[in-house]
Amino acid sequence: MSSTDLPVKGSFRGVSDVPLVARQVRFEQLSFWLNPIGAALTIGFSVVFVVIFESTSRHSTVNYLPINLGQYYVPAFAAYGVMAACFNILAINMVNRREMGLLKRLRLSPLPTWMLLAAIFINWMIIAIIQVVLVLLLGRLGYAVHGPHDVGLFVLMLIVGMLSFTAMGVGISTVVPNADAAGPIVSLVFFILVALSGLYFPVKAGSGLATFTGFFPIRHLILGLVDTFNGIPGTSPWNDLLVIAAWGVVGAFVSLRRWDWSPKRG
Amino acid sequence: MPASTSGRTGRRECGAVVPAVSVEHLSKSYGDSVAVREVSFEVQKGEVFALLGPNGAGKTTTVEILEGFRDRSGGRVHTLGVDPADHSTQRWLRTRIGVVLQELAVEPYYSVRQVLTRNAGYYPHPRSVEEVIELIGLAEKADDRVKRLSGGQQRRLDVGLGIIGNPDLLFLDEPTTGLDPSGRRETWDLIRRLAAGGTTVLLTTHYMDEVEALADRVAVLFGQEIVASGTPSSIGGRDIGAVTVRFRLPEGVTVASLPVPAELSDGGHVEIHTEDEVRVLHDLTGWALDEGHALQGLSVLRISLEDIYLGLTQGAASRRAEGSDTAEPGQGVGQ
Repeated sequence: MSSTDLPVKGSFRGVSDVPLVARQVRFEQLSFWLNPIGAALTIGFSVVFVVIFESTSRHSTVNYLPINLGQYYVPAFAAYGVMAACFNILAINMVNRREMGLLKRLRLSPLPTWMLLAAIFINWMIIAIIQVVLVLLLGRLGYAVHGPHDVGLFVLMLIVGMLSFTAMGVGISTVVPNADAAGPIVSLVFFILVALSGLYFPVKAGSGLATFTGFFPIRHLILGLVDTFNGIPGTSPWNDLLVIAAWGVVGAFVSLRRWDWSPKRG
Repeated sequence: MPASTSGRTGRRECGAVVPAVSVEHLSKSYGDSVAVREVSFEVQKGEVFALLGPNGAGKTTTVEILEGFRDRSGGRVHTLGVDPADHSTQRWLRTRIGVVLQELAVEPYYSVRQVLTRNAGYYPHPRSVEEVIELIGLAEKADDRVKRLSGGQQRRLDVGLGIIGNPDLLFLDEPTTGLDPSGRRETWDLIRRLAAGGTTVLLTTHYMDEVEALADRVAVLFGQEIVASGTPSSIGGRDIGAVTVRFRLPEGVTVASLPVPAELSDGGHVEIHTEDEVRVLHDLTGWALDEGHALQGLSVLRISLEDIYLGLTQGAASRRAEGSDTAEPGQGVGQ
């Protein structure tokens, strides 16, 4: 009997696992880019909207915002890129994987759960970062929109946003009963809240709509990125960070409680 | 009964060979609903073992517990010598088992080669991707996307994903469901080759011919428990029950003039039902030689596995309906 026949305990093998995570991320990325239409729609949506809004109203102002709309839309659609990738598309993708039995097959492979989830998170983080970079480059090169003013806080906001919206995306995927319902349920919630939270037009602070959407993390990620991108005085990005992180904890809790590898077919 | 001990995981504990699978009084319930009841069986290394039963009998639940995918409610289970519910050894265990799921589960945008390459990377000693592509007969489709494969080709790819890790123990959950006859035969050939190479196979099926073609031993699951087990040729007393001796009635001979009681069936054939086929054949062939008759189409037909299966399951259903179910939990195991 060789030593290789003896059961090895533990699901974490230290540094030797790092290449395996990188390899899984590579295949997650490959899977994303092998569907070029889906990839183009995911990546291109925020870019197209930046072009539309910047072209039509970048010099416009509203009396309750100390910046013009050109400086508003670029960080706002960077926030959209993060939320779309890490919440909307991720949640639909997770439901489809579960219902197709892909999660079950991976569960029955030697790939540890933590490695799979890490690869999924990194994969969607890469897609979110691509969108953010494209939007910022487009704003700077195409419309002379400059920022971020506070790079450290801006990046921190992005990281917390990606982590929290990924947790929420996984969380909401666990309550969607089947693949047919995934798109309508997730997208309805997402696009209504995105619109009400001020993605397409700034919502005046203190208004009833601002108060309502202030309970949700979407408005806080938009405001947090707009404020840190422009260095608007008198704002509190830490409060935004706290709300986003709290929702991330809720998402993680729901994910852990309701996670299922098997199709629900509900 | 084959009981190879030369497999790559031929581990021994206190001098005894550890079976590939050991199940004792396994139970699984979901609230008040019983999915598996007091199931016991063993699968020896190198053996092809079939769990036969209708839909809802508990086959998939049993296999999923053995794979470590589902927790059990009671009983003892060991897969390749470890408890599959023990999270600390699950990663190790999953490097040694292969699984073919009941339903297709392959990403649609990967090519055949890409998905096999990805999964090969999960295992310490995988088969070569090209070897598996050849084994599953998809060489010409290796660079096609999975979504462009036919249902049967996707099913074969699923089998390929089950064997890519070069497993010691392969779980096949209804592996030929959805395949055409030639696809079934090819899959059977593949399973036979794997078994000949020392891979232990545990398959679930509701096809009798699949059991006859592949299994060294079979257990019949019905109503969430095992109602019988044995070899396909002996299960349910198949090897000692009545047989039918059949031949064409010679010209000029009447049924009444035959040396043993017989009855005329359709098409001019004679059928003799007996549990003493040796004596009947002796009397019959002796008479034919003495009288100079040819017994054209002479054959001895044993009761089919399907008949045995239906008898076992209908009997168990009747006993259950009468509330006098006397089937011993896990009875006949290892007989």
